[in-house]
Amino acid sequence: MRATKFTAVAAAALFSVSLAACGDDSTSDDAGAAAAPAPMTSSAAPMMSSDAGTDTMTNFGSGCAAVPKDSSNPGSFEAMAQVPVATAASGNPVLSTLVTAVKKAGLVDSLNTAPAITVFAPANSAFEKIPSKDLNKVLADKKTLTSILTYHVVPGKLAPADLAGTHKTLEGDSIKVTGSGTDFKVGDASVVCGNVQTANATVYIIDSVLMPKS
Amino acid sequence: MLRRTRPALAGMLSAALGVAAAELLAAATRPAAGPLVAVGGAVIDATPTPVKEFAVRTLGTHDKPVLLGSIVLVLLLFTAVVGILAARRRWVAVAGAAIFGVAGAAAALSRPAAIAYDAVPSLLGAAIAGTVLLIWAPAAPAPPGRRRFLRTALLVAGGTVVAGAAAETVKRIKGGAVAQSREAITLPAAADPAKPLPSGIAPGFYSDKLYRVDTALTVPRIDAGGWRLKIHGMVRDEVSLSLADLLERPLIERDITLNCVSNEVGGPYIGTARWLGVPLAPLLAEVGVDAAADQIVARSAEGMTIGTPLATALDGRDTMLCVGMNGEPLQLEHGFPVRMLTPGLYGYAGACKWVTELELTTFADFDAYWVRRGWAANGPVRTASRIDRPQPFARPAAGKVTVAGVAWAQGRGIRTVEVRVDDRPWRKAELLPVPSSDTWVQWRHEWDATPGPHTLSVRATDGTGDVQTEQRATPYPSGATGWHSVTVTVE
Repeated sequence: MRATKFTAVAAAALFSVSLAACGDDSTSDDAGAAAAPAPMTSSAAPMMSSDAGTDTMTNFGSGCAAVPKDSSNPGSFEAMAQVPVATAASGNPVLSTLVTAVKKAGLVDSLNTAPAITVFAPANSAFEKIPSKDLNKVLADKKTLTSILTYHVVPGKLAPADLAGTHKTLEGDSIKVTGSGTDFKVGDASVVCGNVQTANATVYIIDSVLMPKS
Repeated sequence: MLRRTRPALAGMLSAALGVAAAELLAAATRPAAGPLVAVGGAVIDATPTPVKEFAVRTLGTHDKPVLLGSIVLVLLLFTAVVGILAARRRWVAVAGAAIFGVAGAAAALSRPAAIAYDAVPSLLGAAIAGTVLLIWAPAAPAPPGRRRFLRTALLVAGGTVVAGAAAETVKRIKGGAVAQSREAITLPAAADPAKPLPSGIAPGFYSDKLYRVDTALTVPRIDAGGWRLKIHGMVRDEVSLSLADLLERPLIERDITLNCVSNEVGGPYIGTARWLGVPLAPLLAEVGVDAAADQIVARSAEGMTIGTPLATALDGRDTMLCVGMNGEPLQLEHGFPVRMLTPGLYGYAGACKWVTELELTTFADFDAYWVRRGWAANGPVRTASRIDRPQPFARPAAGKVTVAGVAWAQGRGIRTVEVRVDDRPWRKAELLPVPSSDTWVQWRHEWDATPGPHTLSVRATDGTGDVQTEQRATPYPSGATGWHSVTVTVE
């Protein structure tokens, strides 16, 4: 009985110290709490802003397995959380076709500097479902390409809890998201890796390209 | 059972006292050197990504308390085993404490801005834990009685609670003292004040909230009263200055735009403020800089090193040791009590915050923090421009649309800004007045917008006539380049 009491005292003493030590840094800035901060990696950027938003980095989905694990890899979740969305996508091999399309449409800066957005990012496998003749035609037509790409972007950062429902896209038409928990569909496309954080956008990687009605 | 309970308790309680003592020393000297936070940081770094993801997914925002709780649990188990073994073989107490101390010290030294001292609190804590256990352990195999064991246990536990509480109190008092020391500062008027802003400047010229980019996990809290700046290295006369010493010198006040090298094209890590500070050039003249020196290495209170070319402090620009920003002492997160500022250089090369040392040296002899990580040793700001209005993906109505933004080339100034709609010819934008060439320039352009999707691009020409390059470069290693563009749909 006494032994239990003493263990409790010892544990309480240790906990009080540990919580005090940790409380100090969480009140000022907890940017480094959830992930290795950028300056830990070899070619890290001098950036560690407190609004990097790494604290909500809760990814889900089978497709997340394809994302690089090493935090020094620019395609990893940690690295992507530090940079704006188009830069983040360009570091990720899973999204290389999308990145090519974004560059062709001249949307790199717009995506990077939009204040807060949600991007439904078709993985390379999604583009592979489109016959290559059709894909090349779309890639060559900036206007159509722009409307298709902006149909994948919704204003505001949508957390998984707010994902289900109808959302007006930047293209103008709406998309409908169904599902809950970690299982969502955007139109007919499935979310294969969700809630990926970048500096200015929340990304949901999907397995089909969405097509606006108009 | 009881035979093992007491030695286990002895191990755990000795360790608890050691940790509490280490935390107290760290709180009083360098908060970043506390063993628990240091080990926590090292564990986070060493955890494989899938495990981290699993932890965040399962535990949500409780991941941090759970992490610290797990560390404490592992520590308790480890020290319980050490206590049991030490009851039979006394050297185990020493070995256990040594492992415990070296682990804490190694974790503290692995932090990005660690200095050698950071090993001290962990080692001291381990020494205390080892010593207590060593004195206590021989009593265990032939117990002198429950009463005496309890007395010692209470004593050690009491000591732990007192040390833990003292650590917390020290932190609180220091935090309050720093805030008080900041509030107590009355900044003298500048001997050389900033020119009044020319009329016609648009709102947003000064940044409401200057960006913050640094590596400090906890904002250094420096008591202005105890702060010193040491200027040393390749100088004739080393000096150590207090804040009062600095404030007695003639101060200059300037409007300066500061930006971060890691800013992407069109990015947010740039801002303008009115800075008050001591010009660096006369100070360097007084200490007598060796003719062979070419680098100033500024060291911050948390161990950051920023390497600034000596020439940029002597070529007539307003390189200064800042004490004030927008009419008040520096904010804690912007480097209180003193930071450096070098107009025309990115922050990583010229704007050390929480500065406590300036060492005159050479680029050949010393690589500063970011240079060691591959960033360019010289950090001159690249000419750049940004569209702030309309925002990306905006849907303005057809007709007159104001396109507006900023352009910057600190030191060189901006001569022209041009705007292009889609692939049409470049059109000159209107430039708003500026107080000096060290700030950004606001610009605007009336666009007769026609329905449909359009891409707006911007480029600037600096004061020397060089046109901003279209060539895209990433921020690494010497700053991003390329024309910023924004896509909108006119309705």
